[in-house]
Amino acid sequence: MASDIKAMSAELARDPSSLVFLDLGEALRRRGQIDAAVRVVVGGLEQNPDMVEGHDLYARILVDQGDLARAEQMWNRVLERSPQHQGAHKGLGFLAYRMGDLGAALEHLELALAADPTDQAVVRALKMVRNTVQELEVGAEAAGGDDPIFAGLEGAEDGLLLVDDRGRVLGGRVTGAGGAEVSEAVAAFLAGAAQEAERTARMLDLGDWRWLVAEGPEGNVYVTPPTGETLLLILRDRSVPSGRLAMLAERAGHVARRWLEEQEL
Amino acid sequence: MTTQFQRLLDGVTQVRGVQGAMLVAAEDGLVVAESLMEGVRGNAVAALAASLYKRFRQAMEAAAAGTPHFLHLQGEGGTLITVPAPDAILVVAVGVPDMNVGLVRLEMLRAAEMVG
Amino acid sequence: MTQARAVEPWTLEPLERFVAESGARLTLLMTPAGQVLAQYGFTRAVDVMSAAALGAAIVASTGEIARMLQEREFALLNHQGVQHGIFLGAFETPRGRLLALVVYGPDSSVGLVQLFFEELVRGLVAAAPVEEQPQAVLAANFEEELNRSLASLFGQ
Repeated sequence: MASDIKAMSAELARDPSSLVFLDLGEALRRRGQIDAAVRVVVGGLEQNPDMVEGHDLYARILVDQGDLARAEQMWNRVLERSPQHQGAHKGLGFLAYRMGDLGAALEHLELALAADPTDQAVVRALKMVRNTVQELEVGAEAAGGDDPIFAGLEGAEDGLLLVDDRGRVLGGRVTGAGGAEVSEAVAAFLAGAAQEAERTARMLDLGDWRWLVAEGPEGNVYVTPPTGETLLLILRDRSVPSGRLAMLAERAGHVARRWLEEQEL
Repeated sequence: MTTQFQRLLDGVTQVRGVQGAMLVAAEDGLVVAESLMEGVRGNAVAALAASLYKRFRQAMEAAAAGTPHFLHLQGEGGTLITVPAPDAILVVAVGVPDMNVGLVRLEMLRAAEMVG
Repeated sequence: MTQARAVEPWTLEPLERFVAESGARLTLLMTPAGQVLAQYGFTRAVDVMSAAALGAAIVASTGEIARMLQEREFALLNHQGVQHGIFLGAFETPRGRLLALVVYGPDSSVGLVQLFFEELVRGLVAAAPVEEQPQAVLAANFEEELNRSLASLFGQ
């Protein structure tokens, strides 16, 4: 290896315009002789300013030096001259991944793979980025997307709420005007309203209360007790008729009962 | 005045299955006018329907669904429907579990319009 | 947590049920002379005694006006304020005539208070021990009676 470097250095000394500066610069970079690599590449690019492989190599050396911004500039310059340059796409894919821009990383790596489908490093990088994207999507769903109780039900992400008889949220979510979450406030008022529904039904000889429907200017609400100690609320816009609310409530009630049984096990 | 109010309630009570209709002071829960079958406790219906409406209105407003213009409580043995009218009045109807809610609703909305 | 307290224990259960159902914030059960039988919601003895005296005086005054108008006595009185309502009701029991003074807030209504007041009366009539006769409050034992009542009403 050292003899190769010596030989290439001698050749470059004999002919400063030789393209051997690419191999020599890469060999020095791999040995960690970054300053020597920079001198070789800068010298070679002075002699061969349009050599895109030289700019690609220089960009990789800049990454080793930690100068990511200049490396990005360098690779973008490569792509201006050679839009399908595999090394530049690979490098920019790496930089995008480092900066958390997974979309751009995927895009560059896919272009790199298209330019050289046999590059196993690119295949591995693509796999890693795709896995990261998938993990983030799953995490986002668990944190703020479909609720674990109502996941899979129509409109599970908003307007379904399971509450205990003391007004505490067990699951689901209701958002108010401007997208702010109002689940806690709704749950608190709902518990009082349900107690009143129970008392009204009892005192007026209406039997056990089964459900309550309310229509408002901004939405229709359906409330039913899936068990003796819980309440289920479904809130939908006015276009959803009460019959459909009842069907949705039946499905959501079944899911809630199953979930509550699982919690008791 | 009460006779005029009672005429408003006749359209509601004529629907099959309705056992009584009332106008109720929303804040006080007191009877303003009533047309009830024997055995229906007017003061209890008035007080409880007004309280239920008030509590449910709070829940609806918290959910940004607005003030309810129709409230239907379904029990295994009966039905209670409440519709707000102008001047803090509620139109309230009680009936059997399978009464024609659509028709009752229409008559109650008509009565509510005429209260104002 | 506020508790109902009673000088006469038979009043306690109907009173507690009334408070739970009506949502009353304060309730006093007393004789027309202002002698307190039970209370809910008051925290100071001085407030209980003042409210009892004023409530009894209001019922006595309106009773006198009714008499002047040759009307039957007003059994129920309600004053609706902005935040609170005051309800006063008089009723007969086997222990004699009693008064209820109720203060309620916006989470209740005069309709609810009146509805459950009827149940309170039924409960008190059913619970009142019929064998005992109401005792007249004599000036001689008034102070002793008052102190005993205050001790019962505030658990002292």
